[in-house]
Amino acid sequence: MTLPKTVQSSGRSSNAILWIAAAGAAIIVGGIVIAQLQPLFFPTVGSAEAQQVDALFRFMFAIGGMIFLLVEGVLVYSILRYRVKPGDLSDGPPIQGNTTLEFVWTLIPAIIVLVLTIYSWAVWSSTHSIKPNEHTVSAVGARFAWTFNYVIDQANLPDGVSIDQLNPEIADDLRDGGISFSYNQLATWVDQPVAVSLTTQDVNHAFWIPGMRVKQDLLAGRTTEIRFTPIEAGVYRIVCAELCGAGHGAMAGQVVTQLNEAGEEEQVLQGAWLIVYPDEATYRREFFEPEAMHALFPPEDPVLLGRQILASGEYPCATCHKLTDLNWATGVLGPNLDGIGDRADDRIPNLTGEEYIHQSIREPYAFLVPGYGAIMTQFNDEPNEPNYMPEEDLNAIIAYLLSQTAGVEAVSN
Amino acid sequence: MATVTAPLPVGVGHVEGKKFKLNELLRWSVDHKIIGIQYMMTAFFFFIVGGALAMMIRWELLTPAIDLMADGTSYNQLFSIHGTVMIFLWIVPMMAGFGNYLLPLMLGAKDMAFPWLNAFAFWLIPPAGILMLSGFFVGQAEAGWTSYPPLSTLFSGDGQTLWAMSIHLLGLSSILGGINFIVTIKNMRPQGMGYFQMPLFAWAILATSIIVVLATPFLAGGLTLLLLDRVAGTAFFNPAEGGDVLLWQNVFWFYSHPAVYIMILPAFGMLSEILSVHSRKPIFGYRAIALSSLAIALVGFTVWAHHMFTSLTPELRIPFMITSMIIAVPTGIKVFSWLATLFGGKIHLTSAMVFALGFLSMFVIGGISGVMLGSIPVDIHVHDTYFVVSHLHFVLYGGSVFGIFAGIYHWFPKITGRMLNERLGKWHFIFTYIGFFFTFFPQHVVGILGMPRRVAEYAPEFQGWNVLISVASFVMGMATFILLYNIVISLRNGKEAGANPWRALTLEWQTSSPPPAHNFIGDPVPFKNPYGYGTKAAWEYLHKQEEKLGESVDALNVDKPASSVPAGD
Repeated sequence: MTLPKTVQSSGRSSNAILWIAAAGAAIIVGGIVIAQLQPLFFPTVGSAEAQQVDALFRFMFAIGGMIFLLVEGVLVYSILRYRVKPGDLSDGPPIQGNTTLEFVWTLIPAIIVLVLTIYSWAVWSSTHSIKPNEHTVSAVGARFAWTFNYVIDQANLPDGVSIDQLNPEIADDLRDGGISFSYNQLATWVDQPVAVSLTTQDVNHAFWIPGMRVKQDLLAGRTTEIRFTPIEAGVYRIVCAELCGAGHGAMAGQVVTQLNEAGEEEQVLQGAWLIVYPDEATYRREFFEPEAMHALFPPEDPVLLGRQILASGEYPCATCHKLTDLNWATGVLGPNLDGIGDRADDRIPNLTGEEYIHQSIREPYAFLVPGYGAIMTQFNDEPNEPNYMPEEDLNAIIAYLLSQTAGVEAVSN
Repeated sequence: MATVTAPLPVGVGHVEGKKFKLNELLRWSVDHKIIGIQYMMTAFFFFIVGGALAMMIRWELLTPAIDLMADGTSYNQLFSIHGTVMIFLWIVPMMAGFGNYLLPLMLGAKDMAFPWLNAFAFWLIPPAGILMLSGFFVGQAEAGWTSYPPLSTLFSGDGQTLWAMSIHLLGLSSILGGINFIVTIKNMRPQGMGYFQMPLFAWAILATSIIVVLATPFLAGGLTLLLLDRVAGTAFFNPAEGGDVLLWQNVFWFYSHPAVYIMILPAFGMLSEILSVHSRKPIFGYRAIALSSLAIALVGFTVWAHHMFTSLTPELRIPFMITSMIIAVPTGIKVFSWLATLFGGKIHLTSAMVFALGFLSMFVIGGISGVMLGSIPVDIHVHDTYFVVSHLHFVLYGGSVFGIFAGIYHWFPKITGRMLNERLGKWHFIFTYIGFFFTFFPQHVVGILGMPRRVAEYAPEFQGWNVLISVASFVMGMATFILLYNIVISLRNGKEAGANPWRALTLEWQTSSPPPAHNFIGDPVPFKNPYGYGTKAAWEYLHKQEEKLGESVDALNVDKPASSVPAGD
């Protein structure tokens, strides 16, 4: 090799300050422009919290955009300006450092992160604080579905219903503090602060509504809370964000296209969604009162009762199983339940259809339908155990499932 | 020096001038150079394994429904093992390989302080790797590389037990390696090399090893509890019997956050070497870079719970936000110092250099998204989404892996005595860089829009993004084979490198390539400043070196057509 004979150093441009000022201005403008693009790649702003969080995002995009442009700018400039000419074997100037410069690029980032910390702290304090007059709902996560429990008490009985009309057991419960009904969607209305308490039946999950910008883990053995205030009527997908097993990806709101009675295609929401009604009156009329009526006046017929229990989403069946009668259209992790009434008797020798379904729910691993993994939740008859299913509910569910004979013959099995 | 190096057994190690031999690498050896290569080759094998798993993940995600995999469980196994293999069997051992090969050479030493222990630490890795992969035969781990209980204790298959045992072995290997590095740096520096005359790679290895030795025992503790819960019926993480699921999260991240610095600091060290050498200019702010590694190591121990912003008690989240923001400052110091090193230099766009520049340009994006994730309200929206997947790949792929690639191009001539092909190196870079960017940058957007991580099925509106991401990832994956091809043909036909093809001042270049069994003939004299480029003294030092060790190939002069050897194609 030929060693360099001389040491060169590059000259300095006389109007360097002008150039630096121009580049600085371009970087600042660029950062601001990047921040303005924020709404283009964000989900709908559905809550008061989302407005605050998005403002913080925008601020960070502005600062981050400036740092990005500064670093990439210096990098690209250096590569273009200081790339060696072919055959140039000289070294650069022996500059070891510059204390002032190093001090500046320590101090400025320190100030930036200080500002970001204070701003983030303020947003966090405001978004997670308890609001007056919260609408409280309890949410239960189980592999692989969400269930929301709404309280009915004497104060919010549906219009025209008096406590004397009810069956005495339900009336007593109502006097003792209230009863609750389950639903697989979370319903509320605009400008109403919501507080959701979160518990899990099995593993950790995370409750996330992208449109509200809120997320909170469900922790086995603990109750956690999440709060938000919707500001825009509409439907918002609820998503599980903590790995919970085989059906983790399906533990979210889904849209299925179905034919309605008129034979037209329509979009139907399935799984977990947040439904925000425009006001409390609409919420009560369209959601709360009809659902409360089901719970206050349960059908006598076990088939109808079983159907109502399954349709409510009280148990996490719909994510994994298909059942046309209930519009369960997306499940692939478990066997198709259409026509189960025709097959149940023949599944296991010596077990009647009733006994077979009973076993499938109480001891799901005793027999696995070929082609399906051992992932079904086991439902217990002990009230203090997780995944509690009272024997009355189970009997009604069995009666309903055995009635499912007219459906599609087990194509998928 | 205080530590005595064990004499090397006869017949082990390179004989000077001899060709690089494969069968030496399959045997027990206490030569740090052979151990270093053994680490690198083993790690590269697992890089291919982990990469194949990643390709299957991306294939599955081409459509919103589950179709490639039989069900969600097998998909969960894919990414669980992808993550674990890439971290514990690729980046960590690859960095240990570079450390092993280079550190004694950079210090002018004959070997590591504890050569036998060094070999033992390496030989823990192959059985651990086999244990990890054999999980596929007994019901592989399916709880992610983070393996949160109760999913990992009550629901995951027997592979999860093997997973924990495997990481136990890998952790032990790390600890033994870390102790060895610290003792070597403390005791085996040559006359005239104080701590502040060490190459910055040695500083990075020192900071890394301090983290390894202090943090890895916590992982071992956590894994022991997990194993007991799985096999001995204890209930450390089972709330139904009085356990606590957050205990695992705290212990796991107390190791695993510092572990990200275990993976990135050595790459920072390599970057400091490569940027300075290939831009022919002293590293800017040597002390600041050296000490910021230590600052990162120290502050890195106080930030772990920012991984738990959606599970930790709300009030406890704030102190961790403060520390997580602070740690951006020392990292920023490094980035600005590297930029200032380039500024005004004589930049040679070698393959090593383009990967180093690629690192710098991509790592800064990971740094910015890292600061964003340190903010509680921002993190809460994007936690456990593709935004986080993107962030971690920007720092671990755009950072660590680009650093490893740069290191391979830079030190391959020293290790094998031959140059890698520059033209293939550029193609490797172009495909990797473009593939990388379009794989990971759009993941920020899908994450923000609402796609969680670790899902085999997703909302149909994200399909367009996912197809783009998958196609780009296939490009990036295939690009790795350009490097492999380059290594294979260069081992046979590569240009003879000579002792110091890059005209670098650090001591590993002050000996033949590959170095003799005891590294140096006589005691090498370090140049007083490892980055003293552009001075008369450096010129004289290199001139004297050339007289002693013979001429090297003029590898920096890449634009001269003669320096790029035809690829044999």
